Amino acid sequence: MGKDTGFLELDRRERDYLDPTQRLNNYREFVVQPSDGALSDQASRCMDCGIPYCHNGCPVNNMIPDWNHLVYEGDWKNALDVLHSTNNFPEFTGRICPAPCEASCTLNIVDQPVTIKSIECAIIDRGWKEGWVHPQVPAVKTGKLVAVIGSGPAGLACAQQLARAGHSVTVFEKSDRIGGLLRYGIPDFKMEKHLINRRAVQMEAEGVEFRTSKEVGVDISFASLKENFDAVVLSGGAEDARPLSIPGAEMSGVRLAMEFLTQQNKRNAGDTEERAAPRGSLLATGKHVVVIGGGDTGSDCVGTSNRQGAASVTQLEIMPKPPEHEDKALTWPDWPVKLRTSSSHEEGVDRDWAVLTKRVVGDGETITGLQCARVEWVDGKMREIVGSEFTLRADLILLAMGFVGPKKKGLLEQAGVELTGRGNVEADEQSYATSEPGVFACGDMRRGQSLVVWAIREGRQCAASVDEALMGATQLPR
Amino acid sequence: MQVDGGIRTGRDVAIGALLGADEFGFSTAPLIAAGCIMMRKCHLNTCPVGVATQDPELRKRFTGQPEHVINYFFFVAEELRAIMAEMGFRTLDEMVGRVDRLDMTRMHRHWKARGINLDRLLHAPEIPADAALRQTERQDHGLGGAMDLKLIADAKVAIEAKTPVQLSYEIRNVNRTLGAMLSGEIAKAHGHEGLPPDTIRVNLTGVAGQSFGAWTAHGVTLDLVGDANDYVGKGLSGGRLIVRQPESAPRAANENIIVGNTVLYGAIAGEAYFNGVAGERFAVRNSGAIAVVEGAGDHACEYMTGGVVVVLGKTGRNFAAGMSGGVAYVYDPEGAFESLINPAQVDLVPINAEGDLDKGTGRPQQRGRSVHDFGMGDILRHDAERLRILVERHQLHTGSAVAAELLADWDTALSQFIKVMPRDYKRALETLEAERLEAASVAAE
Repeated sequence: MGKDTGFLELDRRERDYLDPTQRLNNYREFVVQPSDGALSDQASRCMDCGIPYCHNGCPVNNMIPDWNHLVYEGDWKNALDVLHSTNNFPEFTGRICPAPCEASCTLNIVDQPVTIKSIECAIIDRGWKEGWVHPQVPAVKTGKLVAVIGSGPAGLACAQQLARAGHSVTVFEKSDRIGGLLRYGIPDFKMEKHLINRRAVQMEAEGVEFRTSKEVGVDISFASLKENFDAVVLSGGAEDARPLSIPGAEMSGVRLAMEFLTQQNKRNAGDTEERAAPRGSLLATGKHVVVIGGGDTGSDCVGTSNRQGAASVTQLEIMPKPPEHEDKALTWPDWPVKLRTSSSHEEGVDRDWAVLTKRVVGDGETITGLQCARVEWVDGKMREIVGSEFTLRADLILLAMGFVGPKKKGLLEQAGVELTGRGNVEADEQSYATSEPGVFACGDMRRGQSLVVWAIREGRQCAASVDEALMGATQLPR
Repeated sequence: MQVDGGIRTGRDVAIGALLGADEFGFSTAPLIAAGCIMMRKCHLNTCPVGVATQDPELRKRFTGQPEHVINYFFFVAEELRAIMAEMGFRTLDEMVGRVDRLDMTRMHRHWKARGINLDRLLHAPEIPADAALRQTERQDHGLGGAMDLKLIADAKVAIEAKTPVQLSYEIRNVNRTLGAMLSGEIAKAHGHEGLPPDTIRVNLTGVAGQSFGAWTAHGVTLDLVGDANDYVGKGLSGGRLIVRQPESAPRAANENIIVGNTVLYGAIAGEAYFNGVAGERFAVRNSGAIAVVEGAGDHACEYMTGGVVVVLGKTGRNFAAGMSGGVAYVYDPEGAFESLINPAQVDLVPINAEGDLDKGTGRPQQRGRSVHDFGMGDILRHDAERLRILVERHQLHTGSAVAAELLADWDTALSQFIKVMPRDYKRALETLEAERLEAASVAAE
């Protein structure tokens, strides 16, 4: 398959970005799509490994060498079919997946991995452009009713799979639009939201019914769902943000990243300020912003703050600065801990590591600064360095320190499902069944905060389990 | 007893020992310890971790060290030790053959396991109290009585001082690998270059046992009047082998088998003349020897990569399967040969009787020059000349009646020969020639 010597002849070439000056004044995507020829060249670097580690590096087990080969041959339509056979939404993962497949690419041992993610993205974008993506309406309806609670990537993938198996699926979403964090957490400059709308149209044609602004446990009781549906899937995500418990954190200038990001995403969707920010606008414009948390959400806050015109942006991380290059002999084919510089970082930010926040400085109403101290990590234990205290100027502090698990109030309390020690919903990766009969769980609500691609995997596999439970057997792939 | 096949862990070793193995063969697992990632590209020269490749750039990527393999085996041994402790064995010797300590777990869930019954494998036979279940004594291969020891003694002066000797013996089929130990002595003294042509000439009569003339070195001629078993000239390394039928034999050489199966398997240099028909798989994996035979069985020249083979009679089917180098000439007066070849990698080409004016890298010679040059000349050219020389040599060495007949009416005979040329080999030779001409013209400037 492919070109035997492609990897010897060609170097990895990633997608180009527009210059920051061209992208900072808007919220649009800024990835420059490579030409078909360039993509075919990159696909030819795939070595069609006897043991393709990318298959397992990818949580949805994408058949990567197969579609690389088809792209190399110019057979985009078949490439799309192969891609869709394992991934419901490659246009999402092709944009925002950190691509663990590339970390596990065999070429990554001594060379640079194949640009798997850009090839994936090009295949599905082309599919939509050419009109190859159609609703897959089931020939026979089973007459079974399934409720999916939460319309993030796990809920969407689960709903689509179940609808294709012939079940009547209703998706309940507490927000005003479907998508979950996919829509309101991820900024438009990383993924434009018309992509979700397009999928929603496809899914509605396949028989999925969406009910937005309906929070189960508040607007509708869980008991009524259990009574009216043959199966219920909990895919409500892990929304409980890790709090900052330091003096002064109760002041109004200390805010959760999700509140900040959601407002901007709603503005981008064309909402009025009243709809986008019912409890008051939260903007970084002209402010000195400090983002606490060095992960992807923090990075999204950095990019959004810069677009809003922040006076300065600083991002803090409590862990030490990771190495720029991983020790591949130690890490491959697993996901390595290494310094990751996102496109948002390139747009301008001061990053600092091994920093502990001590106290928010302010007058009780308005904040003016953040008092910090440096820490060192010895044998996995954190130790504050005496006398290392310093104060950062801060008008707005955004908390992006991860999520501790799903919200318990409302839905989970009413559902009465057992939880794990970490506070996630208890269900194994085979059956996805919770302690309550007929109630299933998948995505972040079951596994804790994770990637979109893991959510898609869980949604697909959960759908297979639900189908099997309802029908006695299933044809859905796991 | 040795066991192998997917042996990877200490547990595998323990099971092998309990089933009766004294030795354990590992391959994939230690290869992986050394850096193999099971790319399954060993045949493409593109191994990205530099294990199975000749590409110098890729070989630089190889990071394996002997210590990695040693470390792996420490882990195997450690796991085995734990299992032995659990089972109450102090030494591996105690474990060998103790099938009574093995049990079977039924794999209920897998349909492939349904029909499996290991009872016979796990049967513990009655063993007399004084018999051992493991290897306790070394096997005597009877090498002390090998005929080669006599050859080595008789040819001492030739090996040491290159003084030519002529030796004569009778041979029986219990005399196996005749010439191999002699050739070993020559290689120890003179390397692959061996001795000058015909320094040691061994005249034999009778029936030779298996692997007659295996690895025969340059400078040795084994001339057997009689016939030989399988594997004649296995790994032939520069010597000359002749097998001919007695003059008194009342039979047509080209209709009777004279050497067995798999003759010249993996030969790398040297020449062989067989005054009769060879069995199946003639010259399989030959990479440099030249041979004339008066007929051959199925699969002749399979996987051949170099050398020249001439068949003066009928062949079996599947001729030249996987043949990627060297050439073969087949005498085919009835035009039946085309249906017998495996055409995947080779073309059939008629012989150009006119000869080539351009001598290329050289014309064929009557005599070979060294272990590296048996006088075959430029393989892209001179088919008629080369063929005539080979048929003449065959006639000279064996007194072949068939060869004499062909030579008597050579022009007609030539038109009935057909050449088997591997396509990629031809392309590679032409590329080399183009490079050579280019280099020559640059040098001339």
